[in-house]
Amino acid sequence: MDKVLMLWENSGLYNLSLLQTIMIAICLGLLYLAIAKKFEPLLLLPIGFAGVLANVPEAGLALSAMDQALYHFNPQTMQALAGELNITLAGAAEAADKALIKDALAAIDDPAQKARVAQIISAAGYTDGFLYIFYSVLVATGIAPLIIFLGVGAMTDFGPLLANPRTLFLGAAAQFGIFATVLGAVGLSALGIVDFSLEQAAAIGIIGGADGPTAIYVSSVLAPELLGAIAVAAYAYMALVPIVQPPIMRALTSKEERAIVMTQLRPVSKREKIIFPLAVLALVALFLPAAAPLLGMFCLGNLMRECGVVERLSDTAQNALINIVTIFLGLAVGSRLIGDLFLTVETLGIMVLGIVAFAIGTATGILMAKLMNKVSKMPINPLIGSAGVSAVPMAARVANKVGLEANPQNFLLMHAMGPNVAGVIGSAVAAGVMIMYLG
Amino acid sequence: MQDPDLIAEGFNLMLLGMGFVFMFLTVLVIATTLMSKTINRFFPSPEEAVQAGISGKPAAQLPSDKNPEIIAVISAALHLHRQRKQ
Repeated sequence: MDKVLMLWENSGLYNLSLLQTIMIAICLGLLYLAIAKKFEPLLLLPIGFAGVLANVPEAGLALSAMDQALYHFNPQTMQALAGELNITLAGAAEAADKALIKDALAAIDDPAQKARVAQIISAAGYTDGFLYIFYSVLVATGIAPLIIFLGVGAMTDFGPLLANPRTLFLGAAAQFGIFATVLGAVGLSALGIVDFSLEQAAAIGIIGGADGPTAIYVSSVLAPELLGAIAVAAYAYMALVPIVQPPIMRALTSKEERAIVMTQLRPVSKREKIIFPLAVLALVALFLPAAAPLLGMFCLGNLMRECGVVERLSDTAQNALINIVTIFLGLAVGSRLIGDLFLTVETLGIMVLGIVAFAIGTATGILMAKLMNKVSKMPINPLIGSAGVSAVPMAARVANKVGLEANPQNFLLMHAMGPNVAGVIGSAVAAGVMIMYLG
Repeated sequence: MQDPDLIAEGFNLMLLGMGFVFMFLTVLVIATTLMSKTINRFFPSPEEAVQAGISGKPAAQLPSDKNPEIIAVISAALHLHRQRKQ
């Protein structure tokens, strides 16, 4: 009978907490969005599934060895830890002891002591969960977003941008959403609604760049504790581009403006395409070394694509490699969807601020395009400004579609690709500025 | 206590960030334009020259060689086809 009882006490059902139940429901919701609604399925599917795995009770797949030891709270191990940390446990209330040890663990500075603590924990038989390992290897180090950027670089054609370099301004204007949201986030914490630090506010703002890997990279550097919510918000809103953007686009432009036909782009020579990533790299090296990891990998990928002598590498970067990394990135991000990290007022704030960031970015991109149309001789359709938020190639397709509604003969897709890839550069630059300012 | 500071910091970050993004991309626009001009001036792309050569002569000659009737028939057929599609 004892054995049956033990089996029951170790079962998932017995240990399922309310937080875990809610989180599993949310993750199943993400899976539904990915499968039935096709919301960025490539990422939301692994994220949602990893989220379910991370919340399997007792398994501790997303916990580090230390967190697992704390979770199980074996008295002997805890006494050993307390001895090492020079604290005395009251022994009466488990929660109080837990908090005591947690604080002491967080306060360790001495690497030798850290190693001894790790030894005690591993001697007690606790190991890192596999999702935690994915997270610490790929996301906490920033490696996965960088490899994704390599692949995105290898997929990006800078032709439309090179044919009309001024569209870079549209990519710059759309980044206003990022910074306006930073201000919104610190404003919310000033009002006392939520409590965001400036670092966290910056990481939330970057959602407005509508660039998943950049958002993950920035939050892994500035605010790792918010990474789960930020990544989910970033990818969910990228999927919502076709729903969020058109009303803003229609509100800010007249029908005549939407019908503006742009002049055909000039052909761009191969040499220009090869030199361009090198030129970007040189400028990054000169002005903004903090953006060098992101833009460096991006430029490498693009050079591999355009130079034409390493087709195999370029092919791997834009297919096999990016797919492999996407799987692991999804799993790693999903491992952050744990109840006490995710189910907070902050997450709600992130979701709201994220969509505001996105809307503001779209609006400023369009306004900038209107301004450019006024001052330049060449006609510029304001709709392509909305593609300045990255979300390649979705945002450009949306601009094209809204343009076709106003004028069925007007194909804006190639024109919108210019600001679209400019947006990728712009958000990476914005990310670099934030990391430089706050890192 | 800290709140006015935090907002001021946020504002600073916004000004600095937007300023920097614009400056960087402006420099990039200038650099790109210069780069394109230099390349097209000193190294006119060989592919384009070849393409221009190909499309220059035969394409210009072909229509005048062929029977104009055939061209008229093809155009009419194309026109009809497009109309049907609509």
